[in-house]
Amino acid sequence: MKKPHSDQKLILNLSNGDKNALYLLYDNYSGALYGVVLRICRNETLAQDVLQETFVKIWKNSSSYDPEKGKFYTWAYRIARNTALNALRKTDNLIQNEDLSVYTNKTSAEPEPDYIQLNGSINTLEPHHQTAIDLVYFKGYTHQEAHEEMGVPLGTFKSYIKQALKQLRKTYTKQLVWVYFIFEMIA
Amino acid sequence: MEKDKILDEGLLEQYLIGELSEEDALMVESALQKDIELKQHFLQMQDDFEKMGFENAVTPPFQVKYELQKRLETPLAKKTNRMPLLVAASLALVFMLSTVWLYTKWQNTEKNLESLQITTADLQNRLDNLEQSYLLTSNRLETINNPNVIPLILYGNDIAPNSKAVAYVNHTTKLVVVNPQGLPKLPANKTYQMWSDVDGEMINMGIVPTDEELVTLKYIDRAESLNITIEPAGGNDHPTVEQLVSYVLL
Repeated sequence: MKKPHSDQKLILNLSNGDKNALYLLYDNYSGALYGVVLRICRNETLAQDVLQETFVKIWKNSSSYDPEKGKFYTWAYRIARNTALNALRKTDNLIQNEDLSVYTNKTSAEPEPDYIQLNGSINTLEPHHQTAIDLVYFKGYTHQEAHEEMGVPLGTFKSYIKQALKQLRKTYTKQLVWVYFIFEMIA
Repeated sequence: MEKDKILDEGLLEQYLIGELSEEDALMVESALQKDIELKQHFLQMQDDFEKMGFENAVTPPFQVKYELQKRLETPLAKKTNRMPLLVAASLALVFMLSTVWLYTKWQNTEKNLESLQITTADLQNRLDNLEQSYLLTSNRLETINNPNVIPLILYGNDIAPNSKAVAYVNHTTKLVVVNPQGLPKLPANKTYQMWSDVDGEMINMGIVPTDEELVTLKYIDRAESLNITIEPAGGNDHPTVEQLVSYVLL
């Protein structure tokens, strides 16, 4: 999924209150954000609600987005992640109020759905790097929670993330070189 | 300094996903503004992060976009409509309450005014009555208590031994007034009548009802005496001399 060049213009229109700009941005970004939200929520109905809520927030807070501070995806990702975590916290409370055991049994008994599987360059990483990226970027863990989950010290965990990102950078640069190379060949 | 700390502690990675505290986030933001190299690094990191996100994209059901559009299109219209309605409703409520308040106030005032008017009318009546009775009394007093008035007492004869009437005669104003209170009550078919004797002829002065305090009678010139007789009710043209109860010489 490649983003069209008009993103910057769309974002500008969005902050000027253009609803169509929001719908076009939805077309461009909803897939990537839904991938994150779905992996955090592990529940399609809840994830769809969260995705909708995320775009409502993007619409309402569009004036607070500052392109100088970061990319639109980064900003939207933060909103999606927080919305998903809040929604999970709410449903957790509800379920715990009803019956705690139902929830814990359910999560452990159910097989992992297909969408949990990560795709693309992340699969070229070493397993522990993959896990680290998955926990923090796709499952909504904080660094603190994630290092406990993996059972390694925080410093070690942080270096996993750093190394993983460095590795990804290399992969993507290689891909770019290949693309450039093929481009040259065709031309 | 800041840059080293940010890179060593992996703060940029945490900042990327919005995990930093507000204080740390501000520190990172100011460092990014100052350091172009750091900013470039962060931009690259975001690029990779975005690519990773798109590699793991999952297409959401069309329903989500439909619901989003429905949600953004409808409530806004409602919102703009509701505000003036709310204002109008509260204004209407305020008007209604103040109207009720003013109405009760008005009603109370009306009631007060009415009772005041009744009291005033009553007082006016009483004042009129007082004035009338005062005028009457003062008139009577003037009639009686006057240097030109001659009071005459008419004692009863054998027919009415205990009777007594007082006549006040004013020759200047030619007025005769009689107080009949001392005369005994008569049956309903009888009445007292007063006469003046002028050269032996009895001239009618008028009937004397006993239920009044002062009775004004006709003044007759050159009268020599005043006489009271008992006559049939309504009075008589000629005196019944047998029924003369009292007389006095002038």
